[in-house]
Order: sequence, then C-alpha cells, then structure tokens
Amino acid sequence: MTCKTFHEIEAALAHEAQAISSGKLKEDNPLDVSDEFRKLCEACRRGDQKAVQELVSSGVNINARDRFDYTPLILASLCGHFDVIRLLLEHGALCERDTFQGERCLYNALNDRIRNLLLSYDYAKSTNPLQPLAAHITSLLSRSSPKTTDITITTYDETFHLHKFILAARSPYFARKLAAAPNTASWKLPHNIPSESLSVALQYLYFAEVSARSATYGLSDEEELIVLNGIEKISRQLEIERLFENITEISDRRLLRQQRTDELDRGRDQLDSWFRSNVVKNKITVNTDKVEKVQWDRENSIFADILLRADNDDADEVEKTEPSSKILPVRNTLGPLNAIPVGPVKSRSPSRHRAPRKSTLYPAHRAMLLRSEYFLTMFGSSFREAQATPHLQIVKLDCSPVVLETVLTFLYTEKADFGLEIAIEVLFAADQLFIEKLKQRAALIISSLGNGTSPTVQSDNSRGETDAEEVVDIYEVIRAGWDTRVQRLEEFGARYIAYRLEHYVDEPEFAELVQESAKRVKARQETDTVELVDDIRYYLTERFRLRFEDTGLDELMDENPQDAATNVTEEHLEVQNEDAYVPDIETQLAAGAIRTLDGEIVGDEFAQDAIDYQILLGKIEKLLDNLKLDA
Amino acid sequence: MPIHQGLHGDEVDFENIWGAIASAFREIHTKNASRLSYEELYRFAYRIVLKKKGEDLYLRVRQFEHEWLSNEVRGSIQALFSPNVLASPQSLGGTTTNERRVAGEKFMKGLKQAWGDHQVCMSMLADVLMYMDRVYCQDNRRPSIYTAAMMLFRDDILKTPTSDVEGRLVLDLLTHVILDQIQMERGGDVIDKHLIKSCVYMLEGLHEDDQESEELRLYTASFEVEYLETSRVFYRQEAELLLRESDAGGYCKHARRRIYEEEERCKSTLLEATSAKIQKVVEDELIKNRIHELVEMESGVRFMIDNERLEELNLIYDLNTRVDDKKTELTRAIQKRIVDMGTDANNAAIAASQAPATTADAGEKGKSPAQEKNINMQTVAAIRWVEDVLHLKDKFEKIWRDSFQSDNLLQTALTRSFADFINSPTFPRSSEYISLFIDENMKKGIKGKTEMEIDSVLEKAIVLLRYIQDKDLFERYYKKHLCRRLLMNKSISNEVEKQMISKMKIELGNNFTLKLEAMFKDMTISEELTSGFKHHVDGLGEKDPKRIELTINVLTSMTWPLETMGGTGDEEGKRPKCNFPTAIDKIKRGFEKYYNQKHSGRQLTWLANMGSADIKAVFPRVPSKDGSFKERRHDLNVSTYGMVILLLFNDLPAGQHLTFEEIQAQTNIPHSDLIRNLQSLAVAPKTRILIKEPMTKDVKPSDRFSFNEGFNGKFVKIKVGVVSSGNKVESDRERRETEKKNDDSRAFCIEAAIVRIMKQRKELPHQQLVLETLSQLATQFKPEVNMIKKRIESLIEREYLERIDGASLDSYRYLA
Repeated sequence: MTCKTFHEIEAALAHEAQAISSGKLKEDNPLDVSDEFRKLCEACRRGDQKAVQELVSSGVNINARDRFDYTPLILASLCGHFDVIRLLLEHGALCERDTFQGERCLYNALNDRIRNLLLSYDYAKSTNPLQPLAAHITSLLSRSSPKTTDITITTYDETFHLHKFILAARSPYFARKLAAAPNTASWKLPHNIPSESLSVALQYLYFAEVSARSATYGLSDEEELIVLNGIEKISRQLEIERLFENITEISDRRLLRQQRTDELDRGRDQLDSWFRSNVVKNKITVNTDKVEKVQWDRENSIFADILLRADNDDADEVEKTEPSSKILPVRNTLGPLNAIPVGPVKSRSPSRHRAPRKSTLYPAHRAMLLRSEYFLTMFGSSFREAQATPHLQIVKLDCSPVVLETVLTFLYTEKADFGLEIAIEVLFAADQLFIEKLKQRAALIISSLGNGTSPTVQSDNSRGETDAEEVVDIYEVIRAGWDTRVQRLEEFGARYIAYRLEHYVDEPEFAELVQESAKRVKARQETDTVELVDDIRYYLTERFRLRFEDTGLDELMDENPQDAATNVTEEHLEVQNEDAYVPDIETQLAAGAIRTLDGEIVGDEFAQDAIDYQILLGKIEKLLDNLKLDA
Repeated sequence: MPIHQGLHGDEVDFENIWGAIASAFREIHTKNASRLSYEELYRFAYRIVLKKKGEDLYLRVRQFEHEWLSNEVRGSIQALFSPNVLASPQSLGGTTTNERRVAGEKFMKGLKQAWGDHQVCMSMLADVLMYMDRVYCQDNRRPSIYTAAMMLFRDDILKTPTSDVEGRLVLDLLTHVILDQIQMERGGDVIDKHLIKSCVYMLEGLHEDDQESEELRLYTASFEVEYLETSRVFYRQEAELLLRESDAGGYCKHARRRIYEEEERCKSTLLEATSAKIQKVVEDELIKNRIHELVEMESGVRFMIDNERLEELNLIYDLNTRVDDKKTELTRAIQKRIVDMGTDANNAAIAASQAPATTADAGEKGKSPAQEKNINMQTVAAIRWVEDVLHLKDKFEKIWRDSFQSDNLLQTALTRSFADFINSPTFPRSSEYISLFIDENMKKGIKGKTEMEIDSVLEKAIVLLRYIQDKDLFERYYKKHLCRRLLMNKSISNEVEKQMISKMKIELGNNFTLKLEAMFKDMTISEELTSGFKHHVDGLGEKDPKRIELTINVLTSMTWPLETMGGTGDEEGKRPKCNFPTAIDKIKRGFEKYYNQKHSGRQLTWLANMGSADIKAVFPRVPSKDGSFKERRHDLNVSTYGMVILLLFNDLPAGQHLTFEEIQAQTNIPHSDLIRNLQSLAVAPKTRILIKEPMTKDVKPSDRFSFNEGFNGKFVKIKVGVVSSGNKVESDRERRETEKKNDDSRAFCIEAAIVRIMKQRKELPHQQLVLETLSQLATQFKPEVNMIKKRIESLIEREYLERIDGASLDSYRYLA
C-alpha cells in the first residue's frame, strides 16, 4: 500500500470538499452536536464498551464527527481501547486510507496492535455489510433448485422465474397488482419491451449491481437505444424510477460506492418494511395442541410458502407434564437444550398445573430461509419438508417465538439488534441453523453488553466489589461458548470471572466449570493445561498489574508484597481449612477499613492489591489440587 | 445441578433417540424418505452432538451402515454371481461370449444399482447428520459420515470374497468382467458402455486408503493397472499376428484404428485420464517395438516410395511421430532410399558417359565427327542426370509435402541425403553437369517458353545448386560456359542470363556472382567501345570503301576464363602472336591508339583465336559442276584465323597454291588452330573454299592449298564453323586440368583464409586453425585437410607463420 504525500492528501481533501458543497458527494463524517453523539464520544474516550454498544444500537451515527473534528473511532484509537475499536469497526465505522479522517485515525493509533486492526478493516478491502443479503437475493434469480419461485414473467423470447414477495417489496406497481390478485402466477410483458430491458430491471429489483454498459454490451447502437428505451419504460411502469439513475456509468469509485450503499440501504428498508407489515403482522399464535390444524392455503396474500413454528416459552409449563407422544420430549424451554438454562434460572415445579401451551406460526418464504444452510439442505433434500403440499407445511423450530422472529429479521433484512436477554438463545439457534453471521453477532452482543471488560468496571471493581445486577449467568455463557465453538465467549468469560474471582472462586459451580474445561482439553489431547484456568490467571495479572502501573509503584510488587504475599498465602491456607471462619467483608468495607480478602487489615490499597492477588492465585491452586488437576 | 440431571437423563434419551434415528434410516434405505421429517431427524442428531455424544452417534451410524450393507446389499450382489460371470478367460470352456456378456452386464447392473442407492441414501443421511459432520467430525478430525459410508461400501461390498475357489474379491471380479467386456468390444461386439462407465465412476469415487489420497483411487490403484497390463499382452500378440499376415500399409491402418479406438473407449467407457496411458501401451506394442520391422517389411517404406503410396507413407509417418519425435526409423529408411536412387542416377550417368569414352582417345586424334558424337552423348548424359535428379527431387518433395506434413526434421534429412549422393566422392561431375544443364537451356531449352516456365527451369537449377558442396568448382564451369555463350552470342536471351545471375546471387551471395556480373559489364563496355571507335574512325576522314569494320570485345583478363579459349592462355608470354594482314593490322593499331587515349596504362592482348570475321568474297566466273557460269558473291562468316588464312589467298595469283608450312610461316597461327581452321575451310564439304591436295581428311604439313574458284554455296551467307567450339562435357584430360586449376585457386583461398585467421588470433593450435579454416570456407567449398596442411607448410616456408616451440599442442604464431 502506498502512502500519499501531504500535498496529495490536501488536494484530494479540497476536491472532496468541493464535491460535498456542490451536493454531489455525501460527507463521510458529518458534524453531529447531538447529546447522544456526545455521549458516544465520551464512551469511546473512556472505553466503555457497554455504553458504546447501547448507543450504536440506538442508532447514533457512528461515522459522525464532533465539534473538534473527532470521530468516535479516532477517539477510541487515540485512547487505546482495542475492544471498543473492534466494536466500532464491526458496526461499520470507516477507516479508509487516503482519506483525511482515515489517515488521521491511523496516525493517532496508540499502538501497533490497534493500527493493524484499523488497517485490517480498511474499507477498500471490506465490503458493504449488506452485501451478503444482496448477493443472496441476486442469486435467487438464477437458482433453480430448490424451487422457490412463484411467478413467471414472459417477454416475447424469454421467461423469467421470480418471487412475488420480492417484486411486491421492491416495486410499488407489483405491490398493488399482487395485492389485488395474489394468485397471479404469470405475467406477460408487452412485446415492445426487449428481454434485455426487463432483465436489467429485474437485476435491479434483486439487488444486483446494474450498469447500462454491461446490459448493452455487444449490441449495436440501434439495439442499444431500444434496450435503453425499454428500461426507461419498464422502470416507469414498475415505479422504480431510480433504476435509470443507477445504470448510468459513474467513474468515481467513492461516488459509485456511495450510490451502491444508498441503494442497498433503500432496498433493505423496503424489504424490512414489507417484512414487518406482512410476515410479522401475519404471525398467528395458537394453542400448541391445535397447531397441527392450522391450514394455510398455498395461495396466500403474502406469498408465503412455509410456516415456521415456535413454541412459546411459558413459565407455567413444565416439560415433564407435556404429553410425550414422540420418542423424545420436545424441548419447550428457552434455548436449544433443556439442560442448559437460559437467563435467570427459573424455578420449575413439577406439580404446577399447565396452562394451555401456545405456539406461534410465522409465514415465511423459502427463498429467504435458504440463507441458512439448514434450510437449504432441508428444502433440497427429499424429506417431507421438501414435498409440495396443498397447504403450507409447518416446520417447527427449536426456539422461542421471539428468537425465531430475530432469526427471520436477520435473514430478511440483515438486521441483528436484540437484547442480552435472548442473546444466548439466538446464539444457539444460529449455531443450529448454520447462520454464522448471526452467531457472531450474538457473541458480540453478549461479550460487549455483558460488561465483562469495561474499564469502568475494572476501576470500580478491582477489589471484587459486586455488581449491582448480574445480567448474565457467566457459567452459562462460557458453556454456550464451548458448545457453539465461539472462542470469544470463552475469553470473555475468563476475563469476567478474573475480575470478580473472589466471588466465584469458592462456588461449587466454578469448580465444576474448571473440571469441565479440563475434560474438554483432555478430549482433544493437546496439552495438559486447563484452558479456562490459564485464561483466568492471565486476566488476573492484567487486572492487578493495571493497578500497580497506574500508580507507578511497581517496586511495591517486587519487594514488600512479595514477603507479605508468602506469609499471607500460608495464613490463607490455614484459614481455608477452618471453614467456619468466613470474614464479613461487606461490613468491614462499609466500616471503611482497608482489609485484604481474608480480612487482614493492611497499610494501604497497594499492599492490599498485592496480597489479594496472591490470595486469589493461591485459591486457584488449591482448587486445582482438590480437583486433582495438574496445571 | 441441572447439568448433571441433564446428562443423566440423556443416557436413556440416547438409546431412544438412536432408535428413532435408526428406524428412520431404515425407511430411507427402503425409499420412504418423503414421509420423514427432516426437522425432527436433524434435531435428534443435533441434540446428541450438543450433549457430547457425537462419538457414539457416529459409531452407531457406521455400525448401522455396516450391518445394512452386509446383511441386505451383499446378498443381492452375491445372487448375481453366476458361473458365466465367474468364468475366467483361461477356462472359457463351456460359455459362449454372448452368455458371458449377458451375465456380466447383469452383474454390473446389480452393482451399479446398489452403489447408486447407497449414494443417494448416504447423501440423505449426511443431510440429516449435517450438524454432526460439522461439529463432531471436524473437531475430532473424523472423515465425514458420507465418506465413511463410502469406505464401508468398499469394505463391505467390493472387498468381500466371492464364493468361488480362487477366493477372488468382488472388486477383482468386477475388474475381470469389465476387462472381459472390453475385450469383446475389441473383438467387434457391441457392449453397454454406459453401464461400464457408471461402474468405472464408482471405482473412481472410492479410495484404497482412508485418507482419500488422489493416487489411491480404486480405479487407478486396482483397475487401471490390470487394464493396461491385459491390453499390453493383447496388443503384443496382435502386433505379431499382423506383422505376419498383413502388409505394412494394412498394419499402419490397423494400428491407427486401434489407437483411435482406445481413445474413444477412454471417452465413452472408461476415464479420460487413462487415455494417455493406454495410448502409450498401444503405441509401445504396435509401433515402438515394431517400427523397425514395419519399415523394413517387403511392403515397407521402400515399396511405398517406389509405388507412390502417399497415404500409407502418411500413416507410417503419423505412427512414427507418435512414438519418436525424431522419427529415426522412417528418416533412416527414406534417406537410404534417396541415396540408393541417387546413386543409381549417378551410375547411369557414368555409364552413359563412359561407353563412348573408350573410343574417345581414338577420336581425339582427328576423327572429329566421332568425337563430336561422343561428346554430345556425354552432354546428353549430363542433362539426363540433372533431369533424373530433379525428378527424384520432385518425387520426394511430393512425398514430403503430402505424406510427411512438411515435417522440418525430414526436410533436413532429405536435403542431407540429396547433398550426400550429389557430392558423393564416386561422382565428381555434378558441378559440371549442373552448369551444363543451365548452358543447354540457355542456348536451346528455353526457346519458345513462357516466362513462368523459364523461371521454373532456373529454379530447378538453383535447387540443385544448393546441394553442391564445391561451389567454386561450379563457378569455374559456369564461367567457362557463360563465357562461350557471351562471346559467341549463343545465348537466347540476355535477360534470362541476368535473371539466373540474380537468382544465384540470392542463393550464394554477392561474392559468388561478382565475377559473372563483371563479365556482363565487359560485354556492355565493349559495345560502347565498338560504336565509339566506329564514330572515331568516321571522324578521321573521307570514307574508305575498303574499310574494315571492327567489332571488339575487351575482356578483363582476371574475370574471364581465358585459358579455356586460348588453350595455352595461362602462359601469357608464350601466346603466339598471329601475323595479321596489313589492312587488319592497321585497324588494330588504330583501335589500340584509340583505346589508350581512353584508358592509359592498359595493355591490350589480341585473342585472334576467339574472334570471327564477315568477309564479302567474290568468286570469279568459272564453269561449275552444275554448268552455271557466273560470278557468285558470298558473305562468309569465318573465324579470325580463317580470315587471316583466306586473305593470304587474296594476294595470290590464281592457280597458285600455298603449302601448310608456308601458311603457318606467314600467319604464325598455332599449329592445332591452323589445322582445325584449314580443316573447316578445305575439308568440310559445304564450306570448301580452299582446295587441298591431296584430298584427304587429315591435314598434313606437306599439304598444299589453293583457292577454290569453283566454290558454289547454296546460300549467300555461309557460316564456316570451326571444329569443336561448343560447350561440351570435358574429356577426362580436360577434367584433370580443370581440377588442377581449381585446386590451385583453392590453394590461394585456403592461404588467404589461414592468414586472415592468424592475423586475428596471433597464435593458434593446429587443430583449431584447421577447424576455423574449414568453417570459413564452408560456403565456397570443402577443402581437404591435407591441402590445408600443405598450405600451412607453405606459409611457414614463406615466413607468414612459425611453429611455437615447446607448446603442448602443435601451435602456430603469426609473423607480421
């Protein structure tokens, strides 16, 4: 990659400013003085991942700039918050070389790790986040199996097999026409419009990049004129006036990209609103025992060709009371497995009576479901689901309706904004259905909203003070990470625990978790270490070193605490043996005394840190001894 | 502890779920899949894997498939082993080909069916078990369940023994059946190619090992090897049979058909990848190992060439090219044939020229007509030889173009062979013959031909010229012949002569034609001189009615091969000076004066023997034989010597005579020239202007001559020819002379080359000097090494070079 010289950048900048002021080009980083944006900037400065995630989800422009020309990304890279930077980049923050803000961002990067991260997200390499959706829809044009089309449009010499719901979502003309007559199975184009023109229009409707040049390639001038006229006519008829604008050649790379981005956004919004007002609106909730009786005609007003069923998670239900007509009791709790509870553990009482269970049915389109490999295989196989039946088939999914809706939203619109409460369930659902992007999204939400690494937390919490509210069950997160093979969640969990180790270290669940981790390793037979414990140790040193470095009193670590620590550890072991003695830290803290974790009163906070560190390490050692694990 | 509860509960679940899955799989195998719910099956598998039971599930599925294949499928395959299938080719005993084919097809159909079903079912299973494949198999580096099931098919079906005594595996049986069918096809039967192909695809899809390595596909590892081996044996036998029973052409056709067949077979029945390998087998067996025998067959290459079997030659060329880029065998045969045929032509020419040569010595003494006849015959032989060679050349050219696809290597070989026999040491006359051929055409051959035809004649000559090694010898002959043509105006067209020169220029370079061009230039200048001189004389004074007109050719002595005309030309001092009559002498001096004015410092030497003169002769009224009595005027065209002799009789009173000696004394004409001129003037019946006494054919010094007053010619213009002045084949003596002269001039060339080299290198070992000299002279001629040695000796003697003392190799130093 070549670096532009200063005057080249300046010239480009002046050129850009001109283009922007003349209205040709949209500004990449518009000025934003709103309060929300200020908060976002603030969070980036601090490195508060949770706040950043929340603000970004609420729709703050991530690429705006503040009064001092700072963008959130520049602030975060200047302040060195690696995870925040990654979060911003994953949500589409721009950092492109050869642009003023981009070079500034790279120049300001606190260290090489951050610089490399920024470079790896260079826009020139990354693609539009909506591209996978667009590519899928475009591929529907040429996909012949499994069959998902429900309407054919014929010109005098060609036949196109198409999808009503896409036509209706994208073209107001079709929306009206098909609303009036949903059963239409074919449509004839006037003979005076050439196939090439229709083909261009269809490609446009199906999110493909269109250009007049490729559409008229190899044609004579005369034919070209006819095709272009045809395009003009058909775009008027279908009320897709932007088509013509889209096919005109643009040489400028940025303008082209901007136009493409705009077009994809608009298309997605059309699809989104159609999805909401048709698919979501038409969901039906019925009693589970009656769900098999629901019959949707194949010819329906929203052109659905499959019904997806999700059973409501009802706190009143208990799995054991469900009539088990099948060999296996059908899972009916949140999450993919009954064994792994999602969210706060619910009390389950077998004796409680069971209210009639509800199931929710979502009408859907196979064409969109194909984005999941699970459905692709299902509809491509010769099993029951792939058979054509007079009434729509009902396919049950292994999740709650709200998760199903999230999954569908993602498949139809690429949108994945959901709360932490369902994140784990979404993670499992995405894993089961092979929707890799959604899985990553869920993991991201868990690890950023889960408050695990927030520096705020670190500074507030280095001494193990409890959070006011526990949002996630960290054991569950780690196990979910293992089950779905998301490395990020394991790391997140290890860090989360490390920062609150004093809370967890004595819990039996923690020991169990360590045991499980050890087993995982053994199964793979790679090393003898316990991965989780190693990670926790790593984050533990990080936690305490930060404290020491902050005050510049490293020597404390070297001299005084060393001796103290050895003593303390021994004492601590004794204390451990006396189970009866449990110091009431809370009360003592309230009293304002500075004490170590085992209740010793020490001279200052640093001494306390040092001793705490040693105590925690010691506890882990002991735990491992107890579990007979070598590490 | 929900986890433990869950795990505990699963133990029961697993068996239940597996039961459900297994029964579903059974449905799939019995083709009832459309009733099954994908969602449900997937969910079962998903849960099992999520609960870390992937291993169990994987093993169960494999076990299930193993049992299914062993119990359900194997039996149906075994039912197909009929005695006809099991019959080995060695014991063809009771079965007919047809029976075997039908049984084999049935067997293959069954196998194909089983394989197809297995594949379909397994892909459905793989769909259902997708989560297991992705999660369990990947984490534990297990082959996917589909792959595993394919291996099961290999082990449980193909690698199970058949029931026969030999203990063959099903796989071996399949190989055997396919090979048997292919053998039937080779024998002309029609077989079900599609069926075999699908079996082949099966073999290709399976691997010998569990790692799916590319080179261990069952097809490659087991079938292909066998196939190639049996084919090798088959073709070896076929080649032997064919060589015994059919001719070379038929063999070639057959071989080519077989190669094509095998190629087609690979496309339609087997795999394209085998194509190259089986081709090699066929080529090895049918061509490579047999090509020598094939070429040498009675109906082999020689026969084909002699009978112009272009198509068969093409076939053999094609086959040889397949196995040998250099086409060694074919090239060898062709070359041999060319040299043979060329040598035949050489021998014919030698025979033709030698038959009369026995009488040549006698003829030379003076029996001119006989000698003339001999020489003419030799000329005919020469031209005949050229035409033979050209014919040969055309023939092979045609074969080369039509049958050998204008192959470059073969062209080189052809050229080399032609050069070989043309320059053969046993046939030293080629240069002369070619020059003579051109001469003949220039004088007679091209008369009345179109430009195109002339061009092709010239082209032919050039073609032959290309083969000539000793270009200098050719130059010598050509110069000699050209000289005659020019001076005697024998050439039909100057234009064509020049064309020829320019062609040679292109072919052999500027150096070669420099002297020839100079000859033409001399001719032009001479014309100018003549007319200039005439003008000059006109300007001298009043017109002299008796004036003699002079046409003169001034020839540069270095460029013209004067020795060929003067006989003793090379000894300038000894050249006898003919005494011209005063009138002639006067004009001669006049011209010399005129010429010296134009070009001072040049010496003119008069070559009376080369000139000719037109004489207006008046024969007095004497009664002649036919009784007419009147004065007759004749324009006599005689040689210069003739003119000088006749003029003697002008001054002689009628009735007087001169003896031979007197004539010789007065004219100083060389003895032999005088004899010849007198012969033509006094002996030849049509031009008997002098009367000789006694009337014999031979001219003796004592003979007396007188003017034949009664001469009566039929025409006004009479040409008095002088014996032996045409371009004829040289006699042996002449040849020796020519060669000697040639060697002399070569000696100069060699010396010049050596000096050039040594001047540049200063010091050089002997061997290298010889090599460099050879390469420098390659365009002109190929000197003998002996001659080079002699030249070096001579140069050392003359102190151009010296030997370097004490050098390890013989080395020379250049002395400035």
